[in-house]
Amino acid sequence: MPKVTYVDHTGHATTVEVETGENVMRGALYNGIDGITGECGGGLSCATCHCYVDADWTDTVGGPSSQAEEELLESAADEVKPSSRLSCQMVMTDALDGLVVHLPEHQF
Amino acid sequence: MPIDAANPVPPTFPRHVGMDQVPDHVPADLIRQVGLTFGPEFLASPHDFMAALHDKQPPIYYDVSPMGNMWHFTRHEDALFGLRHPEIFSNEGATPFPRDPSDYFYFIPIEIDPPHHRKYRNIVDPVFSPQGVLKLEGLIRKRANDLIDEIEAKVAAGGSCEFTEDFGRPLPVAVFLDIMGLPQDMRDTFVSWAMELLHSNDRAIMGGAMQKITAYLKEAIAEKQANPDDGVVSRIAHAQVDGALMSEKEIFGFVCFLFIAGLDTVFATLNNIWAWLAENPEKRQEIIDRPQDIDKIVEELLRRWSVTFSGRVLDKDHEMRGVQLKKGDRVTFILPACNFDPEVFPDPLTVDFDRPRKTILAFTVGVHSCMGGHLARLEVKIALQEWLKRIPNFELKPGTRIEYRPGGVIGPEEVPLVW
Repeated sequence: MPKVTYVDHTGHATTVEVETGENVMRGALYNGIDGITGECGGGLSCATCHCYVDADWTDTVGGPSSQAEEELLESAADEVKPSSRLSCQMVMTDALDGLVVHLPEHQF
Repeated sequence: MPIDAANPVPPTFPRHVGMDQVPDHVPADLIRQVGLTFGPEFLASPHDFMAALHDKQPPIYYDVSPMGNMWHFTRHEDALFGLRHPEIFSNEGATPFPRDPSDYFYFIPIEIDPPHHRKYRNIVDPVFSPQGVLKLEGLIRKRANDLIDEIEAKVAAGGSCEFTEDFGRPLPVAVFLDIMGLPQDMRDTFVSWAMELLHSNDRAIMGGAMQKITAYLKEAIAEKQANPDDGVVSRIAHAQVDGALMSEKEIFGFVCFLFIAGLDTVFATLNNIWAWLAENPEKRQEIIDRPQDIDKIVEELLRRWSVTFSGRVLDKDHEMRGVQLKKGDRVTFILPACNFDPEVFPDPLTVDFDRPRKTILAFTVGVHSCMGGHLARLEVKIALQEWLKRIPNFELKPGTRIEYRPGGVIGPEEVPLVW
């Protein structure tokens, strides 16, 4: 199963397995990782699963996958950077095995 | 304080009803009796009434009502804050359905605050996630078309279509029963129980409905414990929390809550939308002409036609906008009013499918965000697509005046259609 590393705003890293086809937001929720809220459950109607894709991964992962994601990112609580994504819109594939995402201090 | 879900006890903070039970800390100039959910002005046009709260009332006021006194919040910003701070605005005891004090239980997960809340949500989230509900798409389309077949046959034979009874009611209830693993022949019984519980505005009738629901669900749970299947009732009955099966009280509280949450809300949403579609042919055409935009169309319709409220109880003293809220005070976030906040949604009553995407409050926000939100979106989407494909032109039966039901889920009594 592919692995994802979540690095919180203090630099603390946690690596967990996230099933192919599952999204990076749920990977955090199911594994009890703080720092991702994901309150709408992946419906593109909040912006509480904001994360920053690690510099080594931005090319592979790419930018927002839809106009709705791009618009919603503007509502994110912490600074929006070029590497910002909503983690519910990042679906795990084998190509993303080893993915590293950084979590903002606030989700709202 | 986190509650022990396996050993439920009724809440001890007082319920205030009526003008002689206004607590001392409430300033006289913030007391109102707006008649939310039952007054004649509300019932005449509930969404217009809630939009007008922004002009007529302060952002936070204390409403005195025969249904219980509580603070009302109407601002989008305040709802986001309140609903995202469960340590201040607690869900414990905030769900207004009567229960037998000698056999008390919690509604799970809505009455469970963090940190325990997430353990329960993880049991059912895979079923209700966007990917989870997509598995039901084919079935929902089939059910929608079956109902339209029946409606067309009835109309062809000289009968008439009353939308709420012919489509708005049976579609979501049938889908809900499928998901839960409960039999379709209970459909009309389920609806009448839900109507008594949510629309009677009478605590004795609500209590009676709760007893019937309790007896049926306890039997259904026992049956699933003996004979597991793929449905959600069985999933809950056999789920483990912290490595052990849940207690009988937890299982019952979980299933009972889904029953209450799932039966009436999409029903009311569809009825609201169809009453509006019947009178707005240009918007019907716009929906038909923009199939690629169906998701944002659904989101805007859910904003414009939200159907319910969210209640909380203050777990500590707290000040907002200069208003002193005290521990034990009850609060209602008027979600439709929050969706009409002109600072967030300019010209709020206008349906505009091209609004920039913002957080809508149809499903609340925070840890207790509606778990059925994705199912609701999918049902509304499929209903629009399938209905407009087959019945693109329709209007209200001439002479119809839409009347709204009193109660905690806002929708019209009847929507008679002709075409």
